[in-house]
Amino acid sequence: MTHRIGGIIAVLLVAPALTGRAMAAAQDSQFGIRGLGTPGRWESVRSRSTGGAFAPFDPLSPLMEAPLADIGQLTATAAGGTSHRDVQEGGTTTALRTTRFPVMGVAGPVAPRLTVAAGFTTYLDKSWDVSFRDSFLLRGVMQRYTDEITSDGSVADVRLAVAGRVSRRIAIGVGLHVLAGSTRNTAQRRFDDSTFNPVQQSAEVRYDGLGVSGSVLIGLAPGLSLSGWARSDTRLRAKVADTTSAVTDLPTMVGGGLLFAPSPSVRFAASTAWRSWSRAGAGAFDTWTWSAGAEFGSRRMPIRLGARRGQMPFSLGTEAPTETAASLGTGRAFAQGRALIDLGLERLERRGGGLTERVWTVLVGLTVRP
Amino acid sequence: MTRRRLALVGAVLLVAACVERLTAPGHCPGDFCPSGQITVVDTLLTTAINRDSSYRGYVLAHQSALMLAAHLPGATDTLDGRPIFRINGIGSHFSISTVDTSRGPILGADSARLQLYIVRRDTATHNLRLQLYRLPITIDSSTTFADVTGPFTDSLVRNINIDTLLAQPGRKDTVTGDSVVVDTVNHRLLLSLKLDTTAARYVGTDSGSVAYGIRIAADTLASIAFGKGTFGPVLQWYLRVDSLGMPVARKPGTLGAPLASFVFAPPAAPVDSTLAVGGVPSARSLLRVAFPKAIRDSSQVIRATLFLVPAVAARGAPADSFVIEARTVFADFGGKSPVDLRLGDTTIIHIGSTDTVKIEVTNLLQVWAADSTHPTVLVLRPESEAQFFGEIRFYPSVAAAFRPTLQVTFVRRFPFGVP
Repeated sequence: MTHRIGGIIAVLLVAPALTGRAMAAAQDSQFGIRGLGTPGRWESVRSRSTGGAFAPFDPLSPLMEAPLADIGQLTATAAGGTSHRDVQEGGTTTALRTTRFPVMGVAGPVAPRLTVAAGFTTYLDKSWDVSFRDSFLLRGVMQRYTDEITSDGSVADVRLAVAGRVSRRIAIGVGLHVLAGSTRNTAQRRFDDSTFNPVQQSAEVRYDGLGVSGSVLIGLAPGLSLSGWARSDTRLRAKVADTTSAVTDLPTMVGGGLLFAPSPSVRFAASTAWRSWSRAGAGAFDTWTWSAGAEFGSRRMPIRLGARRGQMPFSLGTEAPTETAASLGTGRAFAQGRALIDLGLERLERRGGGLTERVWTVLVGLTVRP
Repeated sequence: MTRRRLALVGAVLLVAACVERLTAPGHCPGDFCPSGQITVVDTLLTTAINRDSSYRGYVLAHQSALMLAAHLPGATDTLDGRPIFRINGIGSHFSISTVDTSRGPILGADSARLQLYIVRRDTATHNLRLQLYRLPITIDSSTTFADVTGPFTDSLVRNINIDTLLAQPGRKDTVTGDSVVVDTVNHRLLLSLKLDTTAARYVGTDSGSVAYGIRIAADTLASIAFGKGTFGPVLQWYLRVDSLGMPVARKPGTLGAPLASFVFAPPAAPVDSTLAVGGVPSARSLLRVAFPKAIRDSSQVIRATLFLVPAVAARGAPADSFVIEARTVFADFGGKSPVDLRLGDTTIIHIGSTDTVKIEVTNLLQVWAADSTHPTVLVLRPESEAQFFGEIRFYPSVAAAFRPTLQVTFVRRFPFGVP
C-alpha cells in the first residue's frame, strides 16, 4: 500500500513539473490584477460541475478534510481546465484563453479510522498580461508609448490532511497548508520615438505562507448531512531576490454545506463560504459565495448541474466585483469503478468597475483507485 | 498499473500543450492595471563631467588613410593641403628578354602613366584643377609644408583641369593622353595622366625613383581627397633599355607609392584648455564622468545625451562636414587610454557651426550600468581620424556656464512583488 501511494504521489508531482504549469490556477481574471491575485477554486471537477455545492462533501475536493474519512481506498485525482474568456471594457472586447490544472491530490486510509491526503491546489492565480498605450511629457515633447506588464505563475496551496470518523455520524479532519509559489514578472515600455530605448525589466517573485484548517461532517439523518469548515492563513510573504517586498495578511475563512440525498440516484447540495479578504489591505473586500447543485443518476454515469454566485475580493471601487456561474457535467466510471473521468462545462460571468468577463471553461478530471 | 500511470501523465501533457493567450488591453491607472507603474525620470547632470582634457597626435598625416588636398582662402589665412608621394624605381637595369636573364642599362623613359584615385570631392566644386609638381625623392613622413615650398614653386610638370577632362568625349583628352573613369557606385574618380619625358624623367642614378606633389585649385570649395594603399598612386613606366647597343622599348610592372602623405598649412593649433576633436594630427578629448550610483545601481538608462558647447566655430574645409564619435575606454590612462571599440555614438559636425552639439550616448551609459568596473570615461574623437582638416573645440568643465553636461533619462526599478 505504501508503495502504491508513493508511486501515485510521484506521478502527480512529477507530471506538473514536466508541464511547467501545474501551479497555475483554474481561472485567471482581470479582477485579480489589482491585489493579490485571483483566488483559486478548491473543487474537483465533480464539485465544480455542481457549482461547487458538493465541495464540502467531496473527499477529492481540497476544500474540507472531513469527507476524506469515507474515501475507503487509495485514490488519486487530477483536474485540468481550458478557459475561453471574453473581457469587455469600454466597448472593447478581448478574447483570451488559458489552460490550468487546479487540483491534484492523493488520499488513502492508513488505519481503520484514519485517512491521510496530500496534494495541492491553487491558492492564488497570478497570471495575467496587460498592455496599454499612453503618453507623457518627456524632454519637452509628448512621448507616446506602449506598456506591457505581465505576471506568470501562482501561489499553490500544498495540503497535508488527516481525517477520521469519531463516530458513525461524525467525521472530522484537519489540514496543514503550505503556501508556496512564484511568478515571473516583466515590465516593458516601448516608446514611439525610437531614440528612447525600450524598457525591459523582469524579476522572479517568490511567495510563501502557512495555514491550518479544520472541518466536521455530521450525518443528521439518513440522506441528510451537514458540514462546516474553517481555515486560517497567516500572511503571504513576497520576496524578490531574497529581499522581502511585501507581507500581506491572508484571510480567515469559514463555510458550510448541506447535502440531501432522498434516494441513491438523486442528491442535492448547497454550500456557502465567507472569507475575510479585507485583511489584505486597501482595495480588498470580504467575500461571500453561495452555491447550489444536484447530481442525478448512478455513480457510474451521473448528470450534474449547479449554480453559484459570489464576490471577488479585489477592486479599487467601493464594491466588490461579483461573479455568477452555471455549470453542468457528467462522469464515467471505468474498470469496475477503479478509474473515473469527469467532464464539466462552466459558464461564468464577472462584473465590476465597468468591466465584464464572460468565461467558458471546459473541465476534465481523472480519478484512479488502484 | 503502469498503463494507468502513463495514461495519467499523457492526459496531463496533452492538455498542457494548449496555447495560452493572456494579453488584455488595460486602462491605466485604473482598476484593472497593476498597482506598480513604470517610473521614468529625466535628469540633467550639470556637474557630472570633470577632469576633462585634450590630446593631439594620434594619427599623423602620413598615417592617414587619405591624402588631403585643399586650397581654401580664409579671413586670416589660407588652408592649403598638398598631397606628396614617392614612387621607388626599378633600378638602373632592366630585363631585355623574357626567356633569359640578360639585362641592359635603362637609357631613359619614353613616357609614363600616373593613376590617381580621387575618393572624395564636392560635386558643387567647379573648375577643379590639379597641378602636378616634381618633388625631391628625399621626401619622407617628416616632410613639412615648408620643406617643399621651393619645389612646389618651380617644379610644375603638369596642369590638369578635371572638369574639362570630364567633359571630353569618352572622358579622354586625345591631345594630352589623359583620361578619367567615373565610378558612380563608390563615388570615385580614376585619373590616368600621361607624363611625357620631361614630366617623367627616369634617372638611373636615383634608381628611377620619382616624387610628386599635387596642388589643387577651383573657383570655390577646393577640397578633395586622394586614395592611398589599394587606391593610391600607381605609375606605369614606358622605358628604353640598351640591348647590345640597340635601344629597345620595355614596359615594366606598375609601381605603387610606398610613401603617400600630405603637407598642409597652417599647422594645427596646439591644444589648450578647450576640448579639441579632429584636425591633423588628430586630437581627442577625454571626459571623466561621475556617474551617479543611484542611476547606475538600480535603474535602467533608456536615453542619455551628451551636450557640448563649441568654444569656437568648427574649422576646416566648408564642404567637409565630419563625424565625431563618443566611445568609452577599457582603462583610464589619460591620453593613452585604450579605446573600447565595441560601442560608439556619433554626430555630424558642420564647419562654421557654433550650435550646441548633442551626442546620444545611451548605449555607453548602459555599459557602465551593467559593468560597474568599467571606467566612466568618454573619449571624443573623429570617426575618421586625420581624414579631414576639420576640427572643433568645446568648452571644458572649468567653464561653468558652458561646461559639458549629460542628460539622462532612466527608469527606476519596477516594484515587483507589491500587491
